[in-house]
Amino acid sequence: MSSWLDYTINGLIVGNVYALVAVGLALIFGVSRLINFAQGSIYLVGAYIGWVAVVQLHTPLPLTIIVVAAAAAVVGLIIERFGLRPLQNSVRIAPLLATIGISFVLDQLVMLTFSPNPRALPSQLPDVRFQVGGGTIGPLDLLIAGVGLTSALLLFVFLRYSKLGWAVRAASQDRDAAMQMGVDVNRVNQAVFGIAAALGGVSGMLVGMYYNQIDTAMSLQATLKGVVAEVVGGAGNVPGAVIGSLLLGLVESYGVAVFGTSYRNLFAFLLLVVVLVLRPNGLFASARQAPPEPLTGTFIAPSRPVRIPRWALLAAAAIFAVLPFFPVSFYVLQTLINAWLLGMLALSLTLVAGTMGQVSLGHAALLAIGAYTSALLSLTLSVPVGLAVIGGGLMSAALGTLLISPSFRLRGHYVSIATLAIGEIVSLVILNWESVTRGPIGISGIPPLSLFGYDLISPSSIYWFSFAVMVVLALLQGRLLGSHLGRSFRAIRDDDIAARAYGLSLNRYKSLAFIFGGFAAGVSGGIAAHLYSYINHETFNTQQSILALTVVILGGLGNVVGAIVGAVALVGLPEVFRIAAEYRILIYGIVLLLLVRFRPQGLLGTI
Amino acid sequence: MTANVPEPLLALSGVNTFYGQAQVHFDLSITVARGHIVCLLGGNASGKSTTMKIILGLVKPRSGEVTFDGASLIGLSTPQIVRRGIASVPEARRLFADMSVRENILMGAFVRNDRDAVAQDLDRMLTLFPKLGQRLSQRAGSLSGGEQQMVAMARALMSRPRMIVMDEPTMGLSPLYVDRVLELIRTINQEGVSVFMVEQNASLALEIAHEAYVLQTGKIVLSGPARALKDDPRVRDAYLGGSEAA
Repeated sequence: MSSWLDYTINGLIVGNVYALVAVGLALIFGVSRLINFAQGSIYLVGAYIGWVAVVQLHTPLPLTIIVVAAAAAVVGLIIERFGLRPLQNSVRIAPLLATIGISFVLDQLVMLTFSPNPRALPSQLPDVRFQVGGGTIGPLDLLIAGVGLTSALLLFVFLRYSKLGWAVRAASQDRDAAMQMGVDVNRVNQAVFGIAAALGGVSGMLVGMYYNQIDTAMSLQATLKGVVAEVVGGAGNVPGAVIGSLLLGLVESYGVAVFGTSYRNLFAFLLLVVVLVLRPNGLFASARQAPPEPLTGTFIAPSRPVRIPRWALLAAAAIFAVLPFFPVSFYVLQTLINAWLLGMLALSLTLVAGTMGQVSLGHAALLAIGAYTSALLSLTLSVPVGLAVIGGGLMSAALGTLLISPSFRLRGHYVSIATLAIGEIVSLVILNWESVTRGPIGISGIPPLSLFGYDLISPSSIYWFSFAVMVVLALLQGRLLGSHLGRSFRAIRDDDIAARAYGLSLNRYKSLAFIFGGFAAGVSGGIAAHLYSYINHETFNTQQSILALTVVILGGLGNVVGAIVGAVALVGLPEVFRIAAEYRILIYGIVLLLLVRFRPQGLLGTI
Repeated sequence: MTANVPEPLLALSGVNTFYGQAQVHFDLSITVARGHIVCLLGGNASGKSTTMKIILGLVKPRSGEVTFDGASLIGLSTPQIVRRGIASVPEARRLFADMSVRENILMGAFVRNDRDAVAQDLDRMLTLFPKLGQRLSQRAGSLSGGEQQMVAMARALMSRPRMIVMDEPTMGLSPLYVDRVLELIRTINQEGVSVFMVEQNASLALEIAHEAYVLQTGKIVLSGPARALKDDPRVRDAYLGGSEAA
């Protein structure tokens, strides 16, 4: 039986670990106004370097810490130099997307090098516990606390007394003015990325030792927790990030104490959403701090969409429609069915992120809502599958929009963070709401697709069904974009202040975009559920959200035809080239990076 | 280089600047003589601030030449240009709001490595701007607009520049501070620092400037000694409200 003191100690220790990640994020955000989604990957790299050092090279602990910090710093410097510096003059969303791509690439490289199986990372410290009041504390706790305090102290001294530290502070308050004082912003960026990566790497190693286990899933979790802590403390505010981290650690620890381990993350993301709604600038950002730069206007790479003649579209549609009459393999149809399902999700996201400018990183949640609704309607209420899928779409439209509505008042990167958190919350609610969703067991035995009483079991019938649904959704969306409503969406994306001045209600239009997008994504999820016949809380994960985003950028943000072309390309090409599954995510990450760097307007151009 | 025309310290010649498709500067040529105060007048959207950004390397011209002390500035980064001896007082001051007044002033000496001399210069700034003495440990963002302007000027002087470029140094200040700022610009200039300032307030700027240029939608429409421009009816009509008052 653990005491409250134990939970407090645990919360503070975990908070310390988060702080090492969050401080780096805060430094980077301060200087570049960028949320570095690759921070968790550096943490992962740190953990594995630590494993190599401890298990294979048998380095003593102090040396291990130095090796990890130095190696992680090098990774950070490489990311800054080759991943982000070339993007300095590109659209504002580009560096954010680049860090997502980098994170995919790093995670996959670690997974391919070390295999996805968890490994033990021994701490090399004696396994004793000291009695402190009503709780206990071990040497590792003290080590983590010590590393945390030492880092904070070093950072304070650096920022307060060194010339480079002054440059960092000046650049984070006013980049242009700092340049006019002679500050070389590239050097500042380098310094900040190096420090952030060193801290993040050490943090990953310490966590690995704390749980005596490391695996590749650590990466995304660390990024998410670091971002939560940083935003709670006030983005870009270094002391705020420390306090936010400790608060997050405590909230999680007490949450676990009361409700159990599976609630840990739920509390983290709820804390984030509550803070974003009540104090979008974080707990410790005073009013004087410049608001995050509106990412409207130059947000999306401006370009002229590629004109595709109507006959070409009709011909393409006709070819795909008659495809099953030809002797094509089941495998080809299966691949294209996946492409159509991803196409529906991409239609939804291209509307929300491209046309409306709300870059959602939690779009898989809309799939999940649609899938669970449709599955449960048909299983427990015996609703015909065709109707159940539509029910899934409607539920996704309604519930999704409701859940995302707290983010409507946010802008730019904050929208991405909020949608990411909301996506995680949906998945965690599904995991924990056992009476309805069957929790971690998932839902099995979902009836196959059927229409007017006829089961769609043959691959060609499923193919036709999903293709037809996608075409209908695409046609509707095309009409929408040409309408007055579509123009209003784009007006809000391009300049929300001007749009508001013309009397457009932002909330109403954002809701409409999410309702339409939610329906398309929900239908896609619903069809997928009946196709897979088994779903659980991990079926629709963040990786899928990011994949959808890559598809949408590949096709051209806001571009309806582009979304479908992007889906076919990203699903189809790896199949054509027979790329093994474990390399696919790596390819997606590289595609995203190359797109952001060389063709941010996508294949068919933004609309 | 005739005997009575001082060699120009800064020269822009034939500069054409574009923001995307839109041309901002048309064949712009401006010179700042050594030891002079030169003023660039112009209304909104005339391209004044962009001229300053060109000099500081924050915006790159599509064509044309910019030289400082005989050497080209084209292709240099802003920090490199600052190291050549150009300091700036940006529009709306742009102080580092969360750093103290002392830290702000010392940031001006970022390019210098002579610690002792920097400390002496800080003392010198406090005699030049006595009010700042009591404010040294205060957050810069908490000062009034006029006091912030003093900090911005002190910060610019700390690099021991040969030239200071100022973007609307009197904007948003109370009349009392406007006079004070103009007085200080004159003092700074008398100590040997050349000044290039961009202003909307023509009558004030022409008081202290040696030469002036009038910029209209990216073209120089008038230039000459400040004294002459002050009496020029075209300037009076455009900026001093001459004909409207009549």
